[in-house]
Amino acid sequence: MDRKTALTQFIKQEIMRNPNAKLQENDDLLSAGILDSLAILQLVAYIEESFGIKVPDEDVVFENFQSIRALAQYLDGHN
Amino acid sequence: MARFLLTHGVTQGAEKHPQHEAIRFSGQALSYAELEQRTNSLARVLMEQGLRRGDRVGIYMNKGLESAIAIYGIMKAGGAYVPLDPFAPVQRLSYVIQDCGIRHLLTKEVKRTQVEEILRTPVDVECIIGLETAVDRSDVRCLTWDETYQAPNQAISYNLTEQDLAYILYTSGSTGNPKGIMHTHRSGLSFAEWAADEYGLRQEDRLSNHAPLHFDLSTFDFFAGAIAGATTVIIPETLTKFPASLSRLIADERISVWYSVPFALIQLMEHGVLESRDLSALRWVLFAGEVFPTKHLRELMLKLPHVRFSNLYGPTETNVCTYYHVPEPPVGDETIPIGVPCANVEDLVLDAEDRPVARGEVGELVIRGGVVMKGYWGQPDRNATCFYRRKVFDDFEDIFYRTGDLVQQDESGNYRYLGRKDRQIKTRGYRVELDEVEVALLSHEGVEEAAVYPIPDSQGSNLIGASVILKSESGLTEADLVEHLNKRLPAYAVPAKIFLLNDFPRTSTGKINRRELQAWALQSLGN
Repeated sequence: MDRKTALTQFIKQEIMRNPNAKLQENDDLLSAGILDSLAILQLVAYIEESFGIKVPDEDVVFENFQSIRALAQYLDGHN
Repeated sequence: MARFLLTHGVTQGAEKHPQHEAIRFSGQALSYAELEQRTNSLARVLMEQGLRRGDRVGIYMNKGLESAIAIYGIMKAGGAYVPLDPFAPVQRLSYVIQDCGIRHLLTKEVKRTQVEEILRTPVDVECIIGLETAVDRSDVRCLTWDETYQAPNQAISYNLTEQDLAYILYTSGSTGNPKGIMHTHRSGLSFAEWAADEYGLRQEDRLSNHAPLHFDLSTFDFFAGAIAGATTVIIPETLTKFPASLSRLIADERISVWYSVPFALIQLMEHGVLESRDLSALRWVLFAGEVFPTKHLRELMLKLPHVRFSNLYGPTETNVCTYYHVPEPPVGDETIPIGVPCANVEDLVLDAEDRPVARGEVGELVIRGGVVMKGYWGQPDRNATCFYRRKVFDDFEDIFYRTGDLVQQDESGNYRYLGRKDRQIKTRGYRVELDEVEVALLSHEGVEEAAVYPIPDSQGSNLIGASVILKSESGLTEADLVEHLNKRLPAYAVPAKIFLLNDFPRTSTGKINRRELQAWALQSLGN
């Protein structure tokens, strides 16, 4: 499974708690209120655990978490 | 010019220092003169659109410069502003709009889908400002923000008094629906005047606006800031979720007075890379809404030794009524006090029979003074019980607001907060009536019984847990219940975990034993 798919699944299941939710890679996760502070911490922990990528605090900024695509791009740059 | 309305701070600012920045948002700014003019235009348009003195006007949008324009424009037109949580489910918003009879709604184009959904519910909205094109309803008039700003911007004469309604903040209600807390110009200004003075606010200050508009912390950011002629920096909601982005904003915008719930400050401290930011402009950190865990407060104070810290206390019904300047990083882990009453606030502590207790004894804090709300919108029964009437002389009755908070005065005269009399909790600074969550769960036809309880987290706050017994063969899952709740409650009030059980532990009298359910939930979540 590629990262975008994995991230999409994680957000649907663990954060939106609705496996049938509609979620596109370009959807704005922030303006729509999908991600709150707690969800962001969950997401960072998931990334570190599943992809083995350490996300330093200074990179947990809104530009990198705006959408699944933005997040995947950020992660691709930190392989 | 006398100052007895919340709008007067802006008008005075526009006279004294018209070019000084009043509001900043994402690199854009409004000077006091511009804010004065745009709010005059908005007020004029609202009045042309049929707004009458005392009418409620909804503000439904993500934050922006328009937030400030909306607040002051509505009040200048003689209306009361009602901030609608931009992330709340439509059903809840529709309830609020119906409850206080909102006919005018201020919004932005990005909210079009939700606005159209709201219009399909039984609301009586007649006029919407902020959509780029009309909605599919001939009985609803639509104007853009640009059209609004083109209206004449001279001051309009209005004959409001300090007792006119200024704003209504909706908060969780134990009966299952949110309730509207009414504040007048006087109650808002009583708080703002005290705060501007106590924290020595001045024109050079830059205040953060971190809290949402429907949260009472925002009244400090705007109204105390305007009184001082200072600049209020509105923080986009998206940014508030990211500690490192926030700390960058505090540095770049040279914020000098910060105000938020403790949770935001703890996040800033733990993930905000504060050591790499220049926070030299910061002079006050104010917090309210929840207890600040002492060990985290100490750590933060040690990281920011040049900053003064102050704990503000007060339910939304009283704005703020006591305060405590933390003198130095606390030693030990005892909870810091909520402090002493603000200027012109009278305090009294009552026992279970409504008799004043002796100094130092535990009781419910009741509050009197200019800061107290007018009452709850449209709830005469609640208004009859939330105030404590005390006959002082034969011909004089003193009226106090019952906070529902249990307190105790220590030897130094500071109040200490001990807990609630009822089932209201705070989760990440948000106030939630657990009964409201239970009512929402029980409104699902497949739910037989529901019990909701707080689950303390490691940050000194609570998450919400729920245990549910389903009707046999309902076949419901946790996801179904979450979906049901998401349509009724704001996200922060939806339980973080819902346990599906076959039976509940009961007390000897047959009541649900919530304490045991809570202990069991804590254990199963591994806390």
